[in-house]
Amino acid sequence: MSITILNFLIGLGIAFFGFVLQTSIAGLNRKIVGRLQKRVGPRWYQEFLDIFKLLSKRATSHGWIFDFGVIMALGGIIATAMFMPLTSTFNAFGTYDNFFIFVYLLAVGMLGMAMSASGSGNPWASIGVMRALTTMLAYEVPFMIIILTIIKIAGSSLTGIQLYQQAAGNNWFLIALPLGGIVGFISLMGMLGKKPFETYIAPAEIASGPMVEYGGKQLGMLFIMHEITVFIEVSLFVHLFLGGATNIFIFILKYFLVYTLANLISNVNGRFKIDQVVTFFYKWPLILAIVQAFIAIYLGWVI
Amino acid sequence: MANIELLLLFLLASGIVSYFLTKWKSFVGSVFTIFSTMFVFASLAMYGFSGQLDTTVNVIPVLSFAQTNIGFYFAIIIVFVYLMVSFFHPYFVGEYKYKNSYNVMFLLSLAGVIGTFFADNFIQLFFAFEFIVWTSMLLIPMGKSKKAAVSYYGFSAAGSFAMLFGILVMRSVSGSFDIDLGLASLAGGQATLVFVMFLVAAFSKLGAFPFHIWLPEAHGNAPHPFSPVLSGALVKLGAFVAVFAILRIMPSTPLIDFANSNLPHIPLGQYAVVILGSLSIVFGTLMAIKEDDAKKLLAYSSMSHGGYILVAFGIMTSQAVAGGFYHILAHALASAGAFMAIAAVAKQTGTTKMSELGGMIHKMPITYIVYLVAIISMAGIPPMGGFISKWLIFQAVIDKGMIFVAIAVFFGSIGSFLYVFRPLAALFLGQELREYKVKVKEAPFLMLLPMLIITALNVYTGVIPSAILNFTNGMLVDLGLAPVSITMWDIVGTTGTLNPALIALVFGFGVVIAFIIFIVLKKSKKVTLMETYTAGNFVHDEQLLHYTKDFYAPLERLYIKYTTIMKEFYETLAVKVKEIGRFGKYLFMNKFIGTTILWIIAILLFLLVGEVL
Amino acid sequence: MKSTKFTPERNISKAETDRKWWEIGDFFRRNSLWLLMYCTGCCAIELPPAMTSAYDMERLGMGPMATPRQADILLVSGYLSLKTLRRLIYTYEQMSEPRYVVALGSCPINGGIYHDSHAVINQLDQYVPVDVYVAGCMPNTEAVMNGFVDLMEQIKNKSANGWKKYHDNYEWYRQNQIQSLGEVDVHDEFHD
Repeated sequence: MSITILNFLIGLGIAFFGFVLQTSIAGLNRKIVGRLQKRVGPRWYQEFLDIFKLLSKRATSHGWIFDFGVIMALGGIIATAMFMPLTSTFNAFGTYDNFFIFVYLLAVGMLGMAMSASGSGNPWASIGVMRALTTMLAYEVPFMIIILTIIKIAGSSLTGIQLYQQAAGNNWFLIALPLGGIVGFISLMGMLGKKPFETYIAPAEIASGPMVEYGGKQLGMLFIMHEITVFIEVSLFVHLFLGGATNIFIFILKYFLVYTLANLISNVNGRFKIDQVVTFFYKWPLILAIVQAFIAIYLGWVI
Repeated sequence: MANIELLLLFLLASGIVSYFLTKWKSFVGSVFTIFSTMFVFASLAMYGFSGQLDTTVNVIPVLSFAQTNIGFYFAIIIVFVYLMVSFFHPYFVGEYKYKNSYNVMFLLSLAGVIGTFFADNFIQLFFAFEFIVWTSMLLIPMGKSKKAAVSYYGFSAAGSFAMLFGILVMRSVSGSFDIDLGLASLAGGQATLVFVMFLVAAFSKLGAFPFHIWLPEAHGNAPHPFSPVLSGALVKLGAFVAVFAILRIMPSTPLIDFANSNLPHIPLGQYAVVILGSLSIVFGTLMAIKEDDAKKLLAYSSMSHGGYILVAFGIMTSQAVAGGFYHILAHALASAGAFMAIAAVAKQTGTTKMSELGGMIHKMPITYIVYLVAIISMAGIPPMGGFISKWLIFQAVIDKGMIFVAIAVFFGSIGSFLYVFRPLAALFLGQELREYKVKVKEAPFLMLLPMLIITALNVYTGVIPSAILNFTNGMLVDLGLAPVSITMWDIVGTTGTLNPALIALVFGFGVVIAFIIFIVLKKSKKVTLMETYTAGNFVHDEQLLHYTKDFYAPLERLYIKYTTIMKEFYETLAVKVKEIGRFGKYLFMNKFIGTTILWIIAILLFLLVGEVL
Repeated sequence: MKSTKFTPERNISKAETDRKWWEIGDFFRRNSLWLLMYCTGCCAIELPPAMTSAYDMERLGMGPMATPRQADILLVSGYLSLKTLRRLIYTYEQMSEPRYVVALGSCPINGGIYHDSHAVINQLDQYVPVDVYVAGCMPNTEAVMNGFVDLMEQIKNKSANGWKKYHDNYEWYRQNQIQSLGEVDVHDEFHD
């Protein structure tokens, strides 16, 4: 297919849509958590207010790498979101929505943020980055084994994976690969940095980790980046395990349910130590992932 | 037309010239070395791509040469790394004790490289191979440690002699040293024997598990400008031997083959290679994560990447092999770039220990960019070359459904984020330490030039890989594999299509958008690095705010006690070998000369009897 | 070069647009106030009920933050000894602008029950500008919440100008700080 400027604009639209969607849903989730704790909770658009407030403040900068890292982070994440299909028929770049792009282009954004945080010269930031990378090493391997199973069955294009699940006679991979679904969701919790695995933010412990030196527009841009990252990760789960979506409303519904479930689980949990995160992921999720891959690939039992 | 024989003679002659020039003035001799290397590279590049190299032999009687696609691919990569590194010589060679022989050995080992990759028979390949080992062995001790060279030579010698044994077995079967003839004639048990022997050579050169002990020693302690050559170029000799062993010898081992068509259809021997490659990936990654010396860290990463190359060759599908070949190029460029950046830092500061460095980015921004691009490629992140090769390898691993190999491959890929970030955070970023605030400055232009060229190539290989993949497709056809299907922009894998240029373009687009957001907002206030959040404490010492020691301590704690197993094994082995040696010495070398003579006669008799039988 | 056409005077329009942008910014700022709590005194005990389900400050868009760079309000809860004042000033100067100070209890106003102590300062206003005082020893939680709402009103009326005052009268504040503390930056804290 030929790529025109229109594809880029659609991609940018998807990234913007993802930002708006995730920011609203995050605000709603703050409300839900508030109600869970018998509070009134903030307004649903509170997250927007926070972000725009940060953009309006006068920030401090620790040198060019501090700024450049933030730009690279936001740029990388916007680029990743541009490849994301919203439904099985609507995406920006056709069949180029290869799964590996999401994992590895996301890493560019992460690298940018890590670089910028370390460039601030604050030791908490470096410790936070160290923890984030270690957590990544933990959750990514079981997740990739499940992804291997899915790609082996349905190919590596996200649209293709959605269409495979939507085809008559096939189930969602959450049902077809039940163990894989569990592993996928636990890994998603790790990716989102939700609470048992929230080791790298840990405000009371390492003063919010990588974010320690940010204020004003840099922090605002990192918030935008964070929202789009969450959009990418939750959408990946929806497309990979929940059969994707045939229209935008089903997508929003599935998205909302997945994110809210992760958030609710997060709110009744404490925090792991960083080595506990690693040993946790290399115990049950990895074993479940291997068992699932073995069942699905070698025995061919896919419901 | 560039004649291989003339190039060899030219290198020998320029080696001699450079000896005297360096003796006179080390700068002049080194510049002469640059031009000699450049001449060799230019003549190879100009005629080689169209296959027009002249391989006739006119002067030296015994030799004979041939140009193959695979040999040329390796040769051009390695000569390129040599050329890039030679730009560092004017600034480094003067410091070494035997500076005049440094340039000579460098040029002679380059001659060995050309001899190896254009050899058309095995015995010549072996001698050229040994020639590289000997010359580089003399270069390594000019760095920090003489012991490193011993370790390097020990493992290389084990590999070389295993290869020699394999060559001689082949000769006994086919009756000649010819490469194609010899490889084609193997069958049955002899094929297995030669397969194993060649693999020992390949593994010990690649520094793959279980022959990895020499790699960090040699890479970490070699002279700074020679480490990029070792890691980017000479390690790839192992991959060259691995091509012979894995892809061209088919030992008569059973296929791993069951009724289920999803299972990997790979011969058992190749499967063992894949498993050992996976172990190299995991070991290399874990060791690199805990390493404090930046060069040793990169050395362990070379071990891990050697594992990727072995996995790729062992899987034997055309995608995997193409990925392996591409990885050789991508890793050569990434590793050379990273090592050269570290060398530039070491030139300014005199150390490569990350716990002693910090904040180099403020004085050496260009070196930082070079290192950044190199590690992005090394970690396999788009839009750099490493992504393409890793993507191809992942495709093959997934296609074969190898779960346990996949664990290693993905672990290595994510783990590489961890270890490549360590020098970035500890060495380049973080607080600018007081002792480096004054005297450190950016590397001179002559050193920046090759680093920038390598950076550009790292990006090029990641954005427009089709030209190189076309070349590797030619190599795949030589090996009897189907070419990977590529178009101008797309690479088509078994499970999906990749468009690297599009990824790069979208990434650039995203960065532009982010930059626009950044620039329209209010300008931020500049503060110094020391004005950071310290929970209200007044800290005036940079060292106290710089987090470098035991960077991944919580992770290291989980496996640190298992890291010395292989080293202890080899140490025990060394003790045993020494004991045997002492026993032999006791038998032969006691004070009665008669005993020695008696033993010699006894052995001669034994050999003669063996010959008669 | 002078244009023959009518061009509106640029300076006025720029000031006008700046003012407009500033008002929009003020809307966001007053609806999303993040706190940096400086909990040295006993008034800090009033903050848990203010944050949790009893009074729930999150419904006003407020919440605690980890570092001064991220925060908008510096919340001083109680008395300030000379040793802690130093850190307070350091922290205040690290915050990104616009920044506001809310002081709880009578100690920052006039010294409270520590008014005659040699180690405690009596008027916080002498060292950093304070936007809102919440009087009482200690103030109850309604008063604390009321103080935050007052600050929002002030931001709306553009009278929460403590941070500007600190810029304009920096010399005066600095002099007071030095007079009480000797030196603000301690140079031998970790014997470097």
